[in-house]
Amino acid sequence: MKRSLISLVLVLAALNLASAQDNSKLLSSCLTQTGADSKYLKDFRIQLGTAADPGAPRYKAQMSLWKNTKYRFTMCNSDNSKGKLILTITDAADKVVLSSYDSKTGKYYPFVDFECNRSGIYTLSYDFLNGQKGSGVGIVSMVR
Amino acid sequence: MRIKPLLFILVLSLCVSCRNTTNNSAQFVFPEADSIPVSEALKLSPEAIADISRNITSPVEIANLLQKLEVPFSQSYLASTIDANRQSTNFDKALKLGILGADLGYLNIYERTGSSLEILSSIRKLSEDIKVGQFFDFETIKTLSQNNSNLDSLLSLSINSYTRIDEYLRSNDRGHLSALMIIGVWIEAQYLATQVVSQYPDKVLSDRIAEQKIILNDLLLLLMPYCNRDNDFTALCRSLQEIKEKYRDVKITYSQGDPVSVEKNGGLSIIQTEKSFVEMTESQLEEIVNITKSVRNRLILNE
Repeated sequence: MKRSLISLVLVLAALNLASAQDNSKLLSSCLTQTGADSKYLKDFRIQLGTAADPGAPRYKAQMSLWKNTKYRFTMCNSDNSKGKLILTITDAADKVVLSSYDSKTGKYYPFVDFECNRSGIYTLSYDFLNGQKGSGVGIVSMVR
Repeated sequence: MRIKPLLFILVLSLCVSCRNTTNNSAQFVFPEADSIPVSEALKLSPEAIADISRNITSPVEIANLLQKLEVPFSQSYLASTIDANRQSTNFDKALKLGILGADLGYLNIYERTGSSLEILSSIRKLSEDIKVGQFFDFETIKTLSQNNSNLDSLLSLSINSYTRIDEYLRSNDRGHLSALMIIGVWIEAQYLATQVVSQYPDKVLSDRIAEQKIILNDLLLLLMPYCNRDNDFTALCRSLQEIKEKYRDVKITYSQGDPVSVEKNGGLSIIQTEKSFVEMTESQLEEIVNITKSVRNRLILNE
């Protein structure tokens, strides 16, 4: 019993370490996709299981965005992700400001440039398309 | 039976702990009518605190704006008088860790990476002193700095080190140190912006300074649970309150509009047609510049 518990804990620790390393690798690779005309600002590392009820995005974070700034939001998925990482940004009044997925056409965009003209606190919501399982990185950078 | 504590500790170390730390002392009273109710500050969830931490303007963003405005680099804006070896309390160490972090962001954006080595060494000393040195990959950052390598990797490593320190402090009952670090970052970025606008007046920059009003309440909210912790915290709360007072009559208004989007190079390009407008007089700006300078200089000389 004791041995199996220790084994379980060690396996969990190894998985945790492996996951952290995968995330770092994914971040490094994603940084190369943000474009030479941008500067890194922030990243969000997202790891989600399959949603029981696909609907509202599951990973949410707030971020202040400032007018007279052009932001680039780049989304990258790990190879073993089932779905593609999508981003939706809403303002303080919960109005959708942008989405990297067009539900009408089914088109997915790997990056979105956003010319901000209203300073404020926005909510960045990430999820994998149709609530699928996956891990990915969302990078926010400033376009020069 | 002995397996239980071991299992508990190991499992705990694998999980992201999100305990909130608040000092329930509430003797510090914000004098304004629009001040944050004590009850609101004390019931902040860990998620709300994390959001506030993320909302604070990044010094990298301010530095990037200065560079876009073609403001020349100046060493004189930096808090070079801070001697990491002379910081005796954790209050001073955490606050200065934040201040130097903002300076590091400024140096990195201007690619003055050679000059950043001295600041990196101070950051290392301060972070080790408050037992968070393990989150700062000094050697890699130093190598990237010395080689003038990929700026994005350098920014990512530096910013993520601070993010991890912040998360670690908050989840280990040391939220007061995290709050100090964040306030240090903000006040130094604000100092940088206000010093530059005095020398190089610019509407875009003065608007950015005015719009700090949007997050000033959040900053106070972050600090409020600790305002009566000791005299240092009480003085810091009063200083931030002084800054907030200078912002009282600065007005920010908004116009409505729907975003315009076009596909471009395989991605989507969106222009926001909603706008924010700032109403701030010259004298209001001057008061903000002066109070920021006074508070920041008081903080860096507090040795």
